[in-house]
Amino acid sequence: MEDASMIAAWIAPGREQTAAGEEGFRRLYEATSRPLWGYLHHASGRPDVADDLLQETYCKFLLRKAPAMDEAECRSYLFRIATNLLHNRARSRDDAAREEPAESGAQTDEDARLDVRAAICHLKPRERELLWLAYVEGMSHAEIAATTGLGVMSIRILLYRARQKASAFLRPERIKS
Amino acid sequence: MKPMSCEHESSIIRALHSGEWSSELRLHAAECADCSQTLHLAEALGAAARRAEADFHAPDAHWILQRSRVMAREIAVRRVTRLLAAMRILAAVYVATAVLWLLRGYAVLPYREVASSMHGTYAGFALIGAVAAAVCVAAGLWPILRDRSEVG
Repeated sequence: MEDASMIAAWIAPGREQTAAGEEGFRRLYEATSRPLWGYLHHASGRPDVADDLLQETYCKFLLRKAPAMDEAECRSYLFRIATNLLHNRARSRDDAAREEPAESGAQTDEDARLDVRAAICHLKPRERELLWLAYVEGMSHAEIAATTGLGVMSIRILLYRARQKASAFLRPERIKS
Repeated sequence: MKPMSCEHESSIIRALHSGEWSSELRLHAAECADCSQTLHLAEALGAAARRAEADFHAPDAHWILQRSRVMAREIAVRRVTRLLAAMRILAAVYVATAVLWLLRGYAVLPYREVASSMHGTYAGFALIGAVAAAVCVAAGLWPILRDRSEVG
């Protein structure tokens, strides 16, 4: 964690030009790119969009010359940039998710996979974001508020509604941890 | 009023991520409808995240760095271009104002009388000054007019 804090501190004031900064960025990138891509993929519903936005997120992160941050702050900042990019994209294009809601009826693991996909496809982008940040990233309501720009009380209500909506598509007996 | 979610929800999520479950929390998760729903959903989304991450192939970090440097250069060029455009507009306004002022002055002030009263060294200095001013104005206008003709 301390190592990661140093890495992040190297990057932020524009030290990515140096060899140490480049190595720091590489390590931060390895630690955060996978979960960030998962978030972008499920929030946008499209892997190609997730690929594009992931690169854009890191480029913006490097360009913004933010003050020195520890790893948790870097992570939160990256998710905030990614969320803003998702919103900008949604505003500028009518980007219907390419993945279709799945039909129910297969078995076991595949069933669970299809159920989750169906649940995700039936949610609004904002609801997908909230569920992912809360349940996959484990963010608190305050952290989600900072990431999405919504109020903490709104998060509580929206998250509750999103959970109710998503749960209607999930059958507990088929979910494997 | 019914609360939106159980107060133990965040503890359930933390326990799911850390794998550290107390027996009370596990019992509560099994009995509480809200927490049970939260747990099932978090497990399903977690499984979806793991499946998606397995398919993820990250582009090279060095490539991202290179791209960010190219973007930084593009942003810098755009800034300078905006500044130059603003300076060109200012120069054009200055030239137009100067021309109007001179024309108005020519009509109002007795330039001819002043000019006829000058001779010898004074007339030479005045001529050199007028030529230098004309050269400066032309040198300032030339790049503006050249750029406009290229754009047009």
